[in-house]
Amino acid sequence: MTVRTKPPASRKATALPKARRTVPGLIGAVSIAATVGWIVLGGILAEAGVRAGWWEPDVLPAPSEILPVTAELLRSPDFAPDALRTLQELVFSCLFGVAAGLIVGVGFWKAPGVGRVFEPYLVSFYAVPLVLFYPVSIVLIGINQWSVITLASIMTAVPVVLNTWMGLRSVPPVYLRLAASIRCSPAQTLFRVAMPAAAPYVFAGVRLGVVYALIGTIAMEFTTAQAGLGYQIRYLYESFDAVGMYAYIVVVLGASVLLTAVLEGAERLLLRRRTVR
Amino acid sequence: MTATVSQPPAGGRVLAGSVGVAVAAVVLWEIGSHLSFVIPPPLDTARALAADLTDALFLVNLRETMLAATAAFLLSAAIGGLIGLGLGLSRVARLLLSPIVTAMNGVPKIVLYPILLPVFHLGYGSKIVMGVLFGLFPVLINVMTGVQQIPSVYWRLARSVRAGRWQTLRHILLPAIRGPLLTGVRLAISLSLVGVVLSEFFATKYGLGRVVLRSYSAGDYPNMMGTILLLIAVSFVLSLLLWRMERRVR
Amino acid sequence: MTGISIHELGVAFSAKDGRVIAVDGVTQEVPERGFVSIVGPSGCGKSTLLSVIAGLYAPTSGHVEVGGRRVTGPDRAVGVMFQEDSTLPWKTVLENVRFPLQVAKVPKSEQLTRAQQAIDLVGLGGFERRHPAELSGGMRQRVALARTLAMRPSVMLMDEPFAALDQQTRLLLGAEVLRIWRETHQTVLFVTHDISEAILLSQQVWVMSYRPGRIIDVVDVDLPEDRDASVVATPAFNALQNRVWEVLQAESMRGFAQENAVPASGVPAS
Repeated sequence: MTVRTKPPASRKATALPKARRTVPGLIGAVSIAATVGWIVLGGILAEAGVRAGWWEPDVLPAPSEILPVTAELLRSPDFAPDALRTLQELVFSCLFGVAAGLIVGVGFWKAPGVGRVFEPYLVSFYAVPLVLFYPVSIVLIGINQWSVITLASIMTAVPVVLNTWMGLRSVPPVYLRLAASIRCSPAQTLFRVAMPAAAPYVFAGVRLGVVYALIGTIAMEFTTAQAGLGYQIRYLYESFDAVGMYAYIVVVLGASVLLTAVLEGAERLLLRRRTVR
Repeated sequence: MTATVSQPPAGGRVLAGSVGVAVAAVVLWEIGSHLSFVIPPPLDTARALAADLTDALFLVNLRETMLAATAAFLLSAAIGGLIGLGLGLSRVARLLLSPIVTAMNGVPKIVLYPILLPVFHLGYGSKIVMGVLFGLFPVLINVMTGVQQIPSVYWRLARSVRAGRWQTLRHILLPAIRGPLLTGVRLAISLSLVGVVLSEFFATKYGLGRVVLRSYSAGDYPNMMGTILLLIAVSFVLSLLLWRMERRVR
Repeated sequence: MTGISIHELGVAFSAKDGRVIAVDGVTQEVPERGFVSIVGPSGCGKSTLLSVIAGLYAPTSGHVEVGGRRVTGPDRAVGVMFQEDSTLPWKTVLENVRFPLQVAKVPKSEQLTRAQQAIDLVGLGGFERRHPAELSGGMRQRVALARTLAMRPSVMLMDEPFAALDQQTRLLLGAEVLRIWRETHQTVLFVTHDISEAILLSQQVWVMSYRPGRIIDVVDVDLPEDRDASVVATPAFNALQNRVWEVLQAESMRGFAQENAVPASGVPAS
């Protein structure tokens, strides 16, 4: 979310061998329990609201009505094509976006002058007014998944570029002197020293990029597309099928929460030994 | 042989380069417009935009969008700032709430639009709420992490001089988080605008989002492009100004 | 023969307040298997001098020969140890120590035996699978030392390796370096700003001046080679310390005055 996605504070100067190792597990459990609790609480409120007649069921149907339809939806043959379309768009955008972002980020590091020239644009498009180009993208590419993938890839690439570049710039200079002193080749310096050192930043960028790809993909499908989960929500909304629409919304929300959790977990796993726990 | 970093070019040259990039983009656009009839030439687009800007109805749309975006931004900054402050200061609140905040941040907010519409109705209500949903999280998350990352010695300093709550907030906390706060505000400006314009794509009476989509359906590409560029330019200029400020406080 | 000989070395670079002459006309020899320390006020060119010998920085004039060969770039026979923490946080202790050997494409089994030997030599046995984040600053510098030793360099260049550590740890590690040097007998050039550390460790101390960085005194340390930290209390040690301090004191004052003076009164550009 932030340009300043700082990696966790650098390691402490003192040794804390094996100290307090069980506590983070407990903290995690409390957090997860709290999160589940909030979701359940929200569900109960929604259920109570409809039953007490605080709002009409076609505004927000009862969860007891939505969830069975969601379960049914997941099994129905109508679901797969849209889900696959969205998944395909998401996967391609992430692959292209992350690859392009890494390459450009490394390029800017090698040629800081070029990076500075492009920096104001990247920083301003970081918060994604790029979605606004979607109608342009449709006009240029046509109403198909490629107009979505093109823009979503760019949206993914921007935070990856900025974070990769910033991560590489903040590699402690002594690491690079070490690499030079043991005669690392340029490739070894990049892949075995600089990139691993920049990894906390790079990964934060990738995480943001993937989230942007999801947000962008769904938003663009929702706006104008002819398939995909975002499109289905819009379609069912326009045809006043509240329960069907909410089933899709639940799926999208569930998928995005899952994605966030997976990315968070992957990040922890990747960086787990770097800081004193 | 040497481990020295090549000298970054001076500020003026960078500026010239950045302007050069914009010029190059326009040139590419011009070339593209000759290759494909769907791409409106830059000059036509500029003319369409100029005509729009003297058109009374367009100005109503512009005002509508800008008012909604401003309101959405102010609300995002206020709500996000307060919640972020609370979460940054309280470990317990963070423990209970930060995962759900992270999760909600990753949600494509646009899918909530059908929920907002009947609740907040057409017109300002639903688009401002959408703008807030978009703009809220960057402020919230930046303020939260900013407060968390304040060096503990600052807090000890505040206690040692017996600063009151308000004094600590004004003289220690706010200055200490001004960097991340500005980052959040910068992102919130663009995102509030995006949220407002996206919801104007759908049901609304006035607004630039509606203008864009109508020009798109009518095949009036110069008009569509001009309006999009106007929106992009507004968000670009504002975030650029804030970004410069941010770099100065860093 | 792998001594270091420095010929009329000069290094200048441009800084905010004009041209800075970090090293000026230095001509010195470190004999093979010798242990020489450079002391000088902070901001003098001692680290720059070391970087040039390591091949990390090109001199403006003059040249350096290591083992009779002119230095044109980094050489794996020259091990460098830095002041900053240079352990790579994503690698374990063993992986850190192995890293230069992997880069040099040493066969894997040899990598492991050499790394293990180096780890044992610096007293880190049992910590092979730890990550740097789990170690203290002193232990991390031991890892860096082991990594340098594992390369089996014939020359070791140490750039204030213990400057960031507390006094006790520094003494302890100094003693370790001395012990290891007696075992391996590499040629060592050791940069420090701590006079007693320099005298305790080395056979010869070079005193460097504030900008322009010149060697203004060379002091032979005629203390017993198998000395330990207790030598600090002897009159001979004190005499040496006083001599170096006298030279250095004037330099430090001059450096301090220049650092805090208006740029115009700084070193004239040449």
